[in-house]
Amino acid sequence: MVDRPLDDAKLVELARRGDLRAWETIVRTYQGIAFRTAYLLSGSAADAEEAAQDGFVKAYRALGRFRRGSPLRPWLLRIVANEARNRRRSAGRRDQLALRAVAADRPGDAVPSPEAALLAGESRERLLEAVNRLSDDHRDAVACRFFLELSEEETAAALGIRRGTVKSRLARALDRLREDLEEEEEP
Amino acid sequence: MTELEQRLLSLGPELALPPEPDVAAAVLARLEERRRRPFPWRRVAIAIALVAVAIAAAFAVPQARSTILRWFHLRGATIERVETLPPAVERSQAGGLGQPSSIAAAERIVGFHLALPPFEDGGPKRAYVLDGVLASVIVQAHGRSVLLSEFRSSDFEFLKKVTDSETSVEPVRIDGDPGFWVEGPRHALIYPGGYGERRTILIHGNVLLWVHGDLTLRLEGKLTKAEALRVARTVR
Repeated sequence: MVDRPLDDAKLVELARRGDLRAWETIVRTYQGIAFRTAYLLSGSAADAEEAAQDGFVKAYRALGRFRRGSPLRPWLLRIVANEARNRRRSAGRRDQLALRAVAADRPGDAVPSPEAALLAGESRERLLEAVNRLSDDHRDAVACRFFLELSEEETAAALGIRRGTVKSRLARALDRLREDLEEEEEP
Repeated sequence: MTELEQRLLSLGPELALPPEPDVAAAVLARLEERRRRPFPWRRVAIAIALVAVAIAAAFAVPQARSTILRWFHLRGATIERVETLPPAVERSQAGGLGQPSSIAAAERIVGFHLALPPFEDGGPKRAYVLDGVLASVIVQAHGRSVLLSEFRSSDFEFLKKVTDSETSVEPVRIDGDPGFWVEGPRHALIYPGGYGERRTILIHGNVLLWVHGDLTLRLEGKLTKAEALRVARTVR
């Protein structure tokens, strides 16, 4: 098994000494999650790509401030997410990104009956619509924690808030989603 | 984990997201291009000249030479205790701080990522950049507006703070990094005023000055020492 924290620590030390190939390995490792996070926060694929690129450049220049022994991924996500939020603000975008699901079944899923597939699809769409109706803050917290599967620490870093705030926002968002879904189901 | 949380987790892989671009090559190209750029001798030379002029001016005046009581030094900043403060002008909190810009634009100009405390509301939207080196933002802390300024630490003096005997200067530590807490009714700050000039202004708030990685940070406002230290420890 690869020990990711140790690998990151070694790569960071090499990058601190100017080894750009070590930094390239780090970029390739985390560019996927960095782009997805930036996309969900900025609402634009072009902005997300720029945010990821600028974020990795700035992170390299800021390596002197990275605390040895700290996990690298939350630190990188914080920098990239900050870039993404700045772009959303400077573009004056107030509309949320409307999340959509792809219709295809996931690999490995059992083949459902047509009725079961229809019901599952409707349930998924209702949930996604309810998420899209959440406030920006709540939706961003849900997207980071559940859709991107970031840890609480990483979610806090990406959103620039404290871990306790992540917990309270998620709790309120889940309550709101439950209420919303229950209202829909009532005749 | 509740059923709702499980449903949200299972939605993640089903989201329609755009294809992930490969940014590694572009990142490497930008970093390599920056390495090839010549060292900014001009900027360093201007800064050294500014310091030389300021020091020469201070020591050319006999009164100033005789009344320097004590020096404190932090990377890129000096605190000097004197009997009488030099003539200084008042300024508003955001006045004389340089060109306003967005945070992203300011970071591009100064060439470093601004270290900021965490924010509930997305943080400050505007920064001020002086001489392409010093970036300042106004942030909310403990219910007050305070000024956070930062520049890349260096061995030459960039900021000089002058205090009199009514102002205390106390060494502090912020997560192991050195700093100074300056508290008193007023003190003077001498800094580059643009176009090679030095400007001397009067500060009425307390100031925390500290080293944060390769940056030197300065927090100014009507905060107590405990409040300022709490803010400083959250800066990332």
